[in-house]
Amino acid sequence: MEVTFKDVSLSYDGTREILHHLNFTIPEGTLVSILGPSGCGKSTTLMLISGLLAPTKGQIFFGDQDVTKQDALARKVGMVFQNYALYPHLTVLENIMFPLKMAKVKKEERREKALKLAKLVHVDDQLDKKPGALSGGQQQRVAIARALAKEPSLLLLDEPLSNLDARLRIEMRQEIRRIQQETGVTTIFVTHDQDEALHISDHIMVLNLGDIQQFSSAETLYDNPSNLFVAKFIGEPVINTLPITAFGHDLDGAVPAAILAKTQTVGIRPEALQDHPIDTGTLAQITTQVKAFEKYGREKNALVDYNGNELLSTEIQGRLENHQDLTLYLQKSGFYLFDEAGQRIFGGEQDVE
Amino acid sequence: MLNEKPTLKSTGKALLYLLPMLVITIIFNIYPILKSFIMSFYTKYDFFKDIVQQWGWSNFTYIFHDPDFLLAVKNTLIFVVGVVPLTVIISLVVALLLNKIKWLSGLFRTVYFLPFVTSTVAIAQVWHWIYNSDYGLLNYFLGLFGVSPIAWLESPKYAMLALIIMSIWKSLGFNIVLFLVGLNNINERYYQAAEIDGANAWHQFTNVTVPLLSPITFLVSVNGVIGSFKVFDQIFALFNGTPGPSKSALTIVYYLYQKFYTEWKYGIAAASGVVLFFMILLVTLIQMWYSKKHVHY
Ligand SMILES: Nc1ncnc2c1ncn2[C@@H]1O[C@H](COP(=O)(O)OP(=O)(O)OP(=O)(O)O)[C@@H](O)[C@H]1O
Ligand SMILES: [Mg+2]
Repeated sequence: MEVTFKDVSLSYDGTREILHHLNFTIPEGTLVSILGPSGCGKSTTLMLISGLLAPTKGQIFFGDQDVTKQDALARKVGMVFQNYALYPHLTVLENIMFPLKMAKVKKEERREKALKLAKLVHVDDQLDKKPGALSGGQQQRVAIARALAKEPSLLLLDEPLSNLDARLRIEMRQEIRRIQQETGVTTIFVTHDQDEALHISDHIMVLNLGDIQQFSSAETLYDNPSNLFVAKFIGEPVINTLPITAFGHDLDGAVPAAILAKTQTVGIRPEALQDHPIDTGTLAQITTQVKAFEKYGREKNALVDYNGNELLSTEIQGRLENHQDLTLYLQKSGFYLFDEAGQRIFGGEQDVE
Repeated sequence: MLNEKPTLKSTGKALLYLLPMLVITIIFNIYPILKSFIMSFYTKYDFFKDIVQQWGWSNFTYIFHDPDFLLAVKNTLIFVVGVVPLTVIISLVVALLLNKIKWLSGLFRTVYFLPFVTSTVAIAQVWHWIYNSDYGLLNYFLGLFGVSPIAWLESPKYAMLALIIMSIWKSLGFNIVLFLVGLNNINERYYQAAEIDGANAWHQFTNVTVPLLSPITFLVSVNGVIGSFKVFDQIFALFNGTPGPSKSALTIVYYLYQKFYTEWKYGIAAASGVVLFFMILLVTLIQMWYSKKHVHY
């Protein structure tokens, strides 16, 4: 089911606004991640979609139906809560069967379906336990099975993998992706782990302080961050940022003067700093001093000082000594300029004026 | 440590902590219970010299052939059955309503708590007025619906009902407060999950509220059963020191009181106490057994 927010704002207490004028459309059948730091309003956005919370302002549509006034009972979405919210008095099997019981599915059918789902999320050896006797990860998986039980047309997952170990996490995220693609259920997946978001989703919505920063594919997010927040938030290792003043006249000629005049911050991805020139793509060169040089297997990293700013480069070919001078070549891809408001004004594909 | 096994030393230490309380309990609870058990077998006894001349079962044979005692047992059972379920249901309903209107619940909590902290005698005095057949409040209201005046406290037919109504009212406050605490302790997220899972208000009540409240319900009903089996002061106060018109509100403890204080038949009084003890024990055990299956901690 397609989900559309039109100018949705939310305030819990009527004074402090948590979400500000959200506008977005989640296309039917896609898997969309909502990514953002803690407290930015991810869970709140999910609650709004589920109908557990009503927006203070704005409208919510499922397809072309306005569901703003409908409660959770009427919206019929599936949801995995951040804190699982498994019924403590029911066994694992009963928990998974509960939505089916509410939908008046026959007893044998309920059981059969629940067993299948339990197997799918690997809790079929825990069926008679109460949630209190499960580990966090097991509870999470039971919650996923419960959400899937009623075959919703919209599935909301609030950090459903946060308590799993690395291996299980990757396995479960592939499983979620597989189930999603198999059933075509529109899925909204909240996470604060960018790696998870990049791997699982068709589109990623980056949220910060209740505002959508950017809503696009993972690739676009990395290659064309629309602002400084997204540039810093996406990418591992983190993008190098430094004030434009550090460059002196190093960028003269490489970037139009009009743009340079508006620039406040420069962002350079670590792979856009190379110790060897490339004919095409090199934008400018800077002279730095090596502070630290590390070699891990095939990978060589250098931490350098550039006019008092620390920069990280992951594209080193030569062997370096500490304190030696080093000329680095700035590559055009991975080099961005941001204005006072943090908006990108240079770099990436479509330059924003 | 959570999984520490008790050792001789740790048990001894715990006992030492408990000692002061233990001494008090033994003197004022355990000893009297044992003494009354023993006393129920005194068949000839000089109270003033504390000499037992004869032992036997005759106290028990006596009470089981005493129509008054059998009436007392019957009345007690009627009282328990009349008071406990209604108390549980009414206090749960009131607590649910109060829980919906948060700003009122503080005020009402105090209002409902008043009966609990007011003396039974004062309460009975008020109910005397309410039950008054000529100008009582209750008959006035019933009159509005065309019911002719009822002699609540004078008619053997209505005396037990009057007693039950007052007792329910008296115990509501405390139980409502208990239920309110219980309701407050149910995390909102279970209701959210249930709503997502398609449970309407009624299903949320039966599938979330009732099971998660069951420890409190259990506490309230066990407490209510025990308290109701021991009913005495309400009767004494409501019927001015009599067991109601033509013994219509004679209960086991009232019987015991009569035998002990007005007839000085200590053995018989003790025997009726022992019977009451086992009745309460039996019902409580049944409740415990039931709770194993239906109470979720
Ligand atoms: N019930 C509530 N009442 C008042 N404020 C709330 C409530 N729930 C959340 N908030 C506030 O709303 C903001 C967003 O909270 P939300 O739970 O949506 O964050 P989140 O992005 O899910 O964070 P996390 O990653 O830590 O789960 C926070 O500032 C939080 O304090
Ligand atoms: Mg959250």
